[in-house]
Amino acid sequence: MNKCYIDGSIGQCGHSSRSADKAAASGTVMDLKKDFHMNSGAGDNSYARNSKIQGLIISKSQSERRKAAVAAYLGTGRPATMSVADLGCSSGPTALLAVEDIMVAVERACVELHGQPPEFNLLLNDLYGNDFNALFRSFPEFNSRRQGKGLCFVTGVPGTFYGRLFAAKSLHLVCSSSSLHWLSQMPEELQQKEGSPAACVNKGKVFISAGSPPCVAEAYRKQFHRDFTTFLRCRAEEIVRGGLMVLAFMSRKNREAALMEDRYIWGLLEDALNAMASEERIDSFDAPFYAPSMEELEEEIGGEGSFCIRSSDQFLVRWDDDNQYSGTGGEANVTARPVKHAVRMAKGVRAVAESMLRSHFGEGFGMDDLFCRYGGLLAQYYADSEAAVTNVVISLVRK
Amino acid sequence: MDLKKYFHMNSGAGKNSYASNSKIQGLIICKSQSVRREAAVEAYLGTGWPATMSVADLGCSSGPTALLEVEDIMEAIERECVELRRQPPEFNLLLNDLYGNDFNAVFRSLPEFYSRRPGKGLCFVTGVPGTFYGRLFAAKSLHLVCSSSSLHWLSQMPEELQQKEGSPAACVNKGKVFISAGSPPCVAEAYRKQFHRDFTTFLRCRAEEIVRGGLMVLAFMSRKNREAAMMEDLYIWELLADALNAMASENLVAQERIDSFNAPFYAPSLEELEEEIEGEGSFCIRSSDHFGAGWDDDDLYSATGGAAADGVIRPVRYAVRMEKGVRAVAEWMLRSHFGEGLAMDDLFCRYGELLAKHYADHEAAMTNVVIALVRN
Repeated sequence: MNKCYIDGSIGQCGHSSRSADKAAASGTVMDLKKDFHMNSGAGDNSYARNSKIQGLIISKSQSERRKAAVAAYLGTGRPATMSVADLGCSSGPTALLAVEDIMVAVERACVELHGQPPEFNLLLNDLYGNDFNALFRSFPEFNSRRQGKGLCFVTGVPGTFYGRLFAAKSLHLVCSSSSLHWLSQMPEELQQKEGSPAACVNKGKVFISAGSPPCVAEAYRKQFHRDFTTFLRCRAEEIVRGGLMVLAFMSRKNREAALMEDRYIWGLLEDALNAMASEERIDSFDAPFYAPSMEELEEEIGGEGSFCIRSSDQFLVRWDDDNQYSGTGGEANVTARPVKHAVRMAKGVRAVAESMLRSHFGEGFGMDDLFCRYGGLLAQYYADSEAAVTNVVISLVRK
Repeated sequence: MDLKKYFHMNSGAGKNSYASNSKIQGLIICKSQSVRREAAVEAYLGTGWPATMSVADLGCSSGPTALLEVEDIMEAIERECVELRRQPPEFNLLLNDLYGNDFNAVFRSLPEFYSRRPGKGLCFVTGVPGTFYGRLFAAKSLHLVCSSSSLHWLSQMPEELQQKEGSPAACVNKGKVFISAGSPPCVAEAYRKQFHRDFTTFLRCRAEEIVRGGLMVLAFMSRKNREAAMMEDLYIWELLADALNAMASENLVAQERIDSFNAPFYAPSLEELEEEIEGEGSFCIRSSDHFGAGWDDDDLYSATGGAAADGVIRPVRYAVRMEKGVRAVAEWMLRSHFGEGLAMDDLFCRYGELLAKHYADHEAAMTNVVIALVRN
């Protein structure tokens, strides 16, 4: 039995063996557009309580975002009303960080230019299942922090960004953080029934892996191409000439997708699932996730043609970057730190992936058990490897 | 009670929810349809056939009524475009309600809403939380505003009734929860002033947000009688006060709580409306019309076999419906004011009985106004 690190006490995993056999025998088909959402509320497993890494990523991309905000304001002719969209805003403490930042940057620029700042239209987008109620209830406090500043109108826009969300030529700036590594669906070419001629099955795996057949990486690449092209085309219709996009999401340095630096995130989840779920359910689950390389991104952007790359940068976000988790006396202990990192990572992955895992493996699937095992595997991993994830922040101008 | 931020209808889809008890509001939307459709076409033409038409629904709530008006408006304009042989616009649909509204429920109904529009133009639905007694939208960004069953709600209980008893300016509406024949004259005056402040703010904000030639179509409760204390539908609040007073006499509710509760509600007369609109000056009245919306109007509740036509059964049916309808809209504010100790089931049971007696001799219909305004 693995020791359970998740709630900080030593427990035992493994109580809900093979629960997926019973729970998901019918083989539910996941509709990401409707069902995918971060864990709602403010409880122990919520996204609100387990999104510090996403907050850090927003923080680390701040200077790029602020520059882009000012460039968009100036480049679109200093509009009286500036429309800014945040795609994949989620809810919880990270939801308003980026747009608040953008307003600060533009307002400062206006002070320097001795000009009146614009009114702001802030359009916060996420999928239909996002907890918009919680998001909206945080607005009064957000508005009260803007006493004496210009008007801003905050709205919620439900729907998928793999499609049109906004009126034509209505946006000056788009930002997105920790969202674009999510695909619109599991790769199409991996959905073929086993036995059919075109079938490519990622046996025993939930993502691209060194052990996967070559067709798996190909299937993921194709899905990413379709999705990201759709994304660019839709935004191209919605953003005015001279407007910008600032996108931050998970990326990889290695050219080979199977050798992605952060593949352990899915690799270890896979190991935990293999101890619990039926083979068929694991074989048919392929994480709707892709971390492109810089080359792949440049190829897509160059291919679609509506945007130029203004700047791009890869950066690491380490668990140590958040002061709460860095060395404070006992935490510097070599044994304690991997465990703390593992707990944090397991809860963070649970907060984002639980809805899709439930959709695929069934409502009765033992989530506590799964993430208990996952946490144990992560702790072993972090004993020898860095607790960090690779991200890219890329800034694009609408031609 | 922070009405301005958190007032909301009963959420969910249970037996006391707004979703299950909003047929009257649905009827009102239905009855105002022709005015709304004409206004939609006029706004589209009057603002120069915009490629993107922005339409706001203020006080959309959630449940089955939330998307009715905007769907209607798009249909009217799309039909017009067919006749004009023009490409219809893209639609920005801006659904507004207060922060406590169940927007999640509205949004989760969107995939089905969009699926009813295959082959039609693009429309983009946005949720806009906040009070319409303040700015909600960017300047000159709207072509059409609609609102149904929302503007009879004030931003707060009348300011002049908030004075502490004993202070020189105090006006206390003892034992009542609204203007009543038995209230001192200062009560109607306090309500009139609150309505004036609120409706002026509403008009001023919308004037900044709507482009010239744009329209507003507003439907809400109104009265025919000049005297507010003689409003036809006073019984809605009178009987609620009677139920509360009966509970107070049994020590189930503190009398002081009843005295300090004044429903944040006002049903203006047409004269009052015209005065406010002309006074603010940014809009012309294009049309205005009173109409009644009653329990008989909905086929579900009208004669089905002999029993429903029975003079005994019908008042009871109406009373049940009214009691549940009022509960769905007022429960939050009653809880906020009276506290969790107020037994809602008991209150509305008593209220229902009083309503049944009332409907034995009176018509079960409520007066509404639908008014169309053009931005000067």
